[in-house]
Amino acid sequence: MRRWIRIVLVFAGLGVLAFATLHFGVLERSVVAADLDSPLSSEELGKLAARGRYLVVAADCYACHTYKDGPAWAGGLPFETPFGEIHATNITPDPEYGIGKWTRRDFHRALRDGIAPGGRHLYPAMPYVSYRDLTADDVDAIYAYLMAQEPVNRPNVANDLTFPNNIRSLVGAWNLFALRDPEQPDAAKSTAWNRGRYLTNALGHCGECHTPRNFMMAMKRDRYLEGGIIDGVEAPDITRDTLALVGFEPDGLARFMRLGVSSVGSMTGPMFEVVHFSTQYLDDADLTAMAAYLLGEPPPPVKPIMPAKVSVKVSESGQRTWFALCAGCHGIEGQGVPHVSVPMRSNSSLRIPSARGFLTSVMHGIAQQDFPGLERMQAMPGFAEHLSDQEIADLATWMRAIWGGQGAAVTAAEVAKLRSSI
Amino acid sequence: MTITTRALSLTVNGKAVGPVEVPETTMMIDFLHEQLNLTGSRLGCGIGVCHACTVILDHPDGRSEEWRTCITGAHFFAGKSVRTIEGHAQRDERGEVVKLTPVQQAFIEGFAFQCGYCTPGFVTGATVLLDQLKRQPVARQDIERVIHAALDRHICRCTGYVRYYEAVRKVVLATPGLVKD
Repeated sequence: MRRWIRIVLVFAGLGVLAFATLHFGVLERSVVAADLDSPLSSEELGKLAARGRYLVVAADCYACHTYKDGPAWAGGLPFETPFGEIHATNITPDPEYGIGKWTRRDFHRALRDGIAPGGRHLYPAMPYVSYRDLTADDVDAIYAYLMAQEPVNRPNVANDLTFPNNIRSLVGAWNLFALRDPEQPDAAKSTAWNRGRYLTNALGHCGECHTPRNFMMAMKRDRYLEGGIIDGVEAPDITRDTLALVGFEPDGLARFMRLGVSSVGSMTGPMFEVVHFSTQYLDDADLTAMAAYLLGEPPPPVKPIMPAKVSVKVSESGQRTWFALCAGCHGIEGQGVPHVSVPMRSNSSLRIPSARGFLTSVMHGIAQQDFPGLERMQAMPGFAEHLSDQEIADLATWMRAIWGGQGAAVTAAEVAKLRSSI
Repeated sequence: MTITTRALSLTVNGKAVGPVEVPETTMMIDFLHEQLNLTGSRLGCGIGVCHACTVILDHPDGRSEEWRTCITGAHFFAGKSVRTIEGHAQRDERGEVVKLTPVQQAFIEGFAFQCGYCTPGFVTGATVLLDQLKRQPVARQDIERVIHAALDRHICRCTGYVRYYEAVRKVVLATPGLVKD
């Protein structure tokens, strides 16, 4: 009996020790160098702010840190996570609720180590795992820009997380697994490729959505950019071969990031915000660099799609639904209508192994959307109520076969499962 | 893609139609105009935005729904029951209109339209709304909001909507059972 008590005490002691270790950050690996302790002069800040303005756009800070129609940078946007609700914070220079009292070092620590003043661990909804790769110069510039903004005295909304996820110190343990050393430039690759990698992985933090996550909810580094699921919506695989498979060549990919719409389809869901607040404003050189990184140098050739086989029965059923409900807007032959609907015969959602994104659109529709440069797409209605699981499955199988070259049949069970999950 | 025809049977304004051979690529608006000579539904934008082309789809369970015929294939309506603008007013044996519906009457009395191109769509939309309110009455303070929500997608280029909305409100208030106390 006494032996058991001793074992329990030892484990409890170890637990306390581990917690204290995490809480006080003994094992933490900071990437913030000591020379960042010296504050920037107001002249330096003034010079940096202009560059910072471009960087906050490339990092898309606005999309999360500004509530819809709310004051700029004053936070408030809620994030539904499996662990509860998190709210983006006020990052205006307001001394009470914003970052007005933050030193240069505080800001670097938050962005690259995920730790706010007072040792408060940020939740990884803030993509510090990706921002860790930002250069010290760029973080300085972002700091300078934000500190030059109008302070907004708006209190932050309290997070609503379930136990034990509401214990911030535990994020310290998570960081031990999820954080790694910053990426170094790859001397074997071109300047454009390295710039593209920096824009994609560090500033754009594309991997945060487009990478599958492990049981710890950390990005699976060995499957980087291979696609993830965000709020039930698929963030597609954007690795080289898949991008080429769906029809992207470098110019087309750069244009897609600029305009949000092209022959492969349009950006949907959370990517609307990305093109609105971020990628449309990037320099041509930067978009070209991102395309160079994502497609590689040299890029893979875009191969024509060979239609896959599909049974007469499925073909008839799919075609019947197509003419009844789809062809009116997407054109009899799937050619699309400019400024109205995207083409389907060259649509990326049909050319990938997963039918999830396509099925989601068919069932739940897509809101009307304005794109940069006066481009727009009309609303697509959802057809979940009007079509049976089998009809949707046949439509998907037929379209994916003839236009996407994907031979694997979509089953009614697959549709039913997705129907109940969203 | 070879264009083939298929036999189509449906109910239009209470009468059985077909089977009639219809190309499988034909949109409903063209079928109504060209094959049934029902030219009252208007082809406006042709891309599903203006709602001048809508008809009522009556479900067997009593629900009714508005459908855009310019972007919906004729064969979608196979076996279904459809009300076009020609099917609203009462007619005598010779097919002449003898009595308009309250919605149609209110639009005329309220000078709700000028050119009239959008009117079939507004009649359709307002009629579907009245059907819905019969099943699910609305509180007095919500009437304006509900009318706006129901007719918002209908585009009118002449009169600026107000008279349409006022006419519909007049009918809603005058019809017993549509408004909760």
